[in-house]
Amino acid sequence: MAEVKIAAELRKEFGKGAARRTRREGKVPGVVYGHGADPVHVTLPGHTLMLALKTANVLISLDVEGKSELVIPKAVQKDPIKGFLEHIDLLQVKRGEKVSVEIPVQVEGELAPGGNLIEHVLNALPVQAEATHIPESVSVSVEGLGAGDSVVAKDIVLPKGTVLDVEKDAVVLQIVAAQAEAPAGGGEAAEGAAGAGGEA
Amino acid sequence: MLIPRRVKHRKQHHPKRSGMAKGGTELAFGEYGIQAVTPAYVTNRQIESARIAITRHIRRGGKVWINIYPDRPLTKKPAETRMGSGKGSPEWWVANVKPGRVMFELSFPNEKVAKEALIRAAHKLPMKCRIVRREAGES
Repeated sequence: MAEVKIAAELRKEFGKGAARRTRREGKVPGVVYGHGADPVHVTLPGHTLMLALKTANVLISLDVEGKSELVIPKAVQKDPIKGFLEHIDLLQVKRGEKVSVEIPVQVEGELAPGGNLIEHVLNALPVQAEATHIPESVSVSVEGLGAGDSVVAKDIVLPKGTVLDVEKDAVVLQIVAAQAEAPAGGGEAAEGAAGAGGEA
Repeated sequence: MLIPRRVKHRKQHHPKRSGMAKGGTELAFGEYGIQAVTPAYVTNRQIESARIAITRHIRRGGKVWINIYPDRPLTKKPAETRMGSGKGSPEWWVANVKPGRVMFELSFPNEKVAKEALIRAAHKLPMKCRIVRREAGES
């Protein structure tokens, strides 16, 4: 995965007032921590950071006032309506170091005929990977799977140097049978049962 | 219809309407969802109506998740009653929904049908809503 270079400034004022002023300038307040060092409070350019975060677990080469360090995003806070970045936690990493990250699971292939549905139990797979070689995603083939089948973590072929950070038998996705067709009118009992089943 | 089985207090104060949703702002289960854009009290009747709108449109082959629960009672005094004499009787059960909250989620193979179903459901809800879908690969 390619590194993204971002220039950051040290933050000198703190609190919600200062953070809001920073956001009004199109910047994002953030914090860098890791390796037992004291946290460093920084300000990052909003648009550049937003573009960088389009890639999951992007490796960022952060330039803080002439000093460069490698970081990965640890926690991102966004405005739920407008989608603006509000704050970011960045984790310091070193080349060759293994980090625990979650990588997106992508489904490939066609299910067996029958109108079944894929239910994602894990949308992202927890793995341990080398900080500079974090895979962008893992592919899971569901070719020919039918209702009742499932894919567990150990079935997924991971790139070299990446190991699972979850139990081997953890279900990643399962194939569920299609719900029965809802009656056209007055079928409250049948629909109620279906709704209760699907409720989280 | 969704209704709490047992509550500690039958009559409660009105829930606060200010602020944004603190959690449940992203899709957790399905591929598509309905996200609230403005705050509102959503009654159990509205939730049920929206659920029926979805299930009748997708017919079969999908799965629906309801992420909100109407756990707050609202009371109402009878018409033409003088003020005082205590609080009115419980009339509605509502979910206090704040902007950003993903209320319904849906998994369905056909995107067009899924979005149509969610738009029909959004028409049953008392606030401005938008349809959201899962974006692969974002942090």
